[in-house]
Amino acid sequence: MRLLILIGLLLAAAPAQAFIARDMRGHAVTLPAAPQRIVSLVPSVTEIIFALGGEERLVGVTDFCDWPPAARRKPSVGGMVAPSLEAIVALRPDIVVATDEGNSEATFDELERLGIPVYVVHAHALDDVVALIARLGELAGRGAAVPPLVERLRARVRRVVAAVRPYPRPRVLYVLWPEPVIVPGRDGLVTELIELAGGTSVSATSPGAYPRLGLEAVVASRPEVIILARHGGGDTPTLRATWTRLATVPAIQAGRVDAVAGELLHRYGPRVVDGLELLARIIHPEAQVAAPSRAAGGARR
Amino acid sequence: MTEPARRLGAVLALLAAVTILAGAGALFVGSAPISARGVVGALVGRGGDVERLVVLDLRLPRIAAALLAGGALAVAGVGFQALTRNPLADPAILGVAGGAAFGVVVAQLGGVGTTVLAALGLTVFAFAGALVAAGIVYLIAASDGRLPLETLLLAGVIVGLFFSAAITVLISVVEFDRLAGVIHWMLGNLRAISPGALGLFGALQAFGVWLILGRARQLNLLALGEEAAQQLGVEAERLKLRVFVGASLLTATVVAFAGPIGFVGLIVPHAVRLVLGPDNRLLVPGALLAGATFLLVADTLARDVIAPAELSVGVITAFCGAPFFVYLLRSRSGSGSLSP
Repeated sequence: MRLLILIGLLLAAAPAQAFIARDMRGHAVTLPAAPQRIVSLVPSVTEIIFALGGEERLVGVTDFCDWPPAARRKPSVGGMVAPSLEAIVALRPDIVVATDEGNSEATFDELERLGIPVYVVHAHALDDVVALIARLGELAGRGAAVPPLVERLRARVRRVVAAVRPYPRPRVLYVLWPEPVIVPGRDGLVTELIELAGGTSVSATSPGAYPRLGLEAVVASRPEVIILARHGGGDTPTLRATWTRLATVPAIQAGRVDAVAGELLHRYGPRVVDGLELLARIIHPEAQVAAPSRAAGGARR
Repeated sequence: MTEPARRLGAVLALLAAVTILAGAGALFVGSAPISARGVVGALVGRGGDVERLVVLDLRLPRIAAALLAGGALAVAGVGFQALTRNPLADPAILGVAGGAAFGVVVAQLGGVGTTVLAALGLTVFAFAGALVAAGIVYLIAASDGRLPLETLLLAGVIVGLFFSAAITVLISVVEFDRLAGVIHWMLGNLRAISPGALGLFGALQAFGVWLILGRARQLNLLALGEEAAQQLGVEAERLKLRVFVGASLLTATVVAFAGPIGFVGLIVPHAVRLVLGPDNRLLVPGALLAGATFLLVADTLARDVIAPAELSVGVITAFCGAPFFVYLLRSRSGSGSLSP
């Protein structure tokens, strides 16, 4: 009995002290206490922390963290591939959140050498986005904000899926990058979003997350809808001009070439659901899919 | 003391002073807002955690890496130029840097970290790539046991092009999200490396410099032509092999630790030669110090002009190097000959 009480006391005392977590690589991250100062090297992570209302603990972001607009007012540590280590150190972070799909591994090793814990994230599916939101909620001390946010996003996904269900599924080509042609593959989040939006991605079986595709393969896949990703202030007419040459492709004949803001679909923050709604409206203009809220930023451009 | 020796001493002392000044100055530059007092405090062991971390663990090792890499590239350039008796030779032109870069890209795609062991592994890959490239160049260029210089240079250019094509093949199959990292590396970048890796870097550089500096007098004789050098008692083939290995090792180490940084191996030896003359006994240590200073200044600019984001130092060396080279060529034309 005394032993049980002792164990109970130990269990009660320990969690209040150390903060122990496992990042998405499976690496253990141990902090003396829950992190109060977080640096984000990932735009998606920045968006999620803001969406959860945890921005007070976010002390540094990258030059690419442009959403929400308030993120631009956070101190920047530079780019994603080569952030300034001394700018990071000067912010005295308890933890740095980074991704192994866009940051460089050398940065992780250097931060660990400097004694700054690194928490690595990535996402290939909508479930990963939900898992990431939950993890960041825990990290930023905003666990209570996770269920309402996730439930709102899930409800919107359900509405999209229900709205497109009655209609046939057209073959969709999503072009992440025009030259070389980069498309979402088997492990790409965009592939899943196209399926949920009532389409069939012509590159759904290509290996990897973002494989390259030859123009011949594009023509052979006979896409019925082509969706081009805009990057930043990318110009849609120029983007389209490259594709209208391929006159025998069904999507070109039917005039179904459209563009979306890439940042909504390639980042894995809450705005992927905005991206999903835009995809559904493009793939199924006949279905009654609600437009994403005006606050989504990328949708307005 | 003889007159040349006194001149050597004076010039080297001046260059060393400039190098030390540049190194000290670079400690005060960076994107973290740290006052001059804070920097000095960190150096003498006082000051806050942030100051100590930034100054001692980030700025100091990066400055050391820049000095080592710059010196190594410049000495490698001197070696290759003496070897080919051509002031246009440099590690890139002879295909050696391309081979080393190919080795490193192969190792990186296999996923190598940045521990000391990994750094050693990377260097081994780079050196292997450099030697394979140098070997192929030698096999193409050698005829009847001799190494005609025109063929050597041409072979170097071809082998360099081949390896850059091979790197392009590797890059085009790499995952899209790792592309930025590989391209970033290809531009040439210095990092604050761990003390262990820095020690390894320094030891390899010292060995490479010794291989070349130890034969500076014979290299002077080689400049008179191989036959003349043979008649003066120089074993030309052994000398060339030793210098080739030394320069390749220097190139490979820099490529492994910092990526292929261009222009330093070409400009610095040439500039130093225009100022100090072609004597390799003076040129090797002169280029070592001048190269170190040049790359340090370039890297300090790289980490500060668009702070907190960083430029690639390779971009700066090309950007500043080319006009400087033209200026030197114009203002001191005629005295750039290789013969003492």
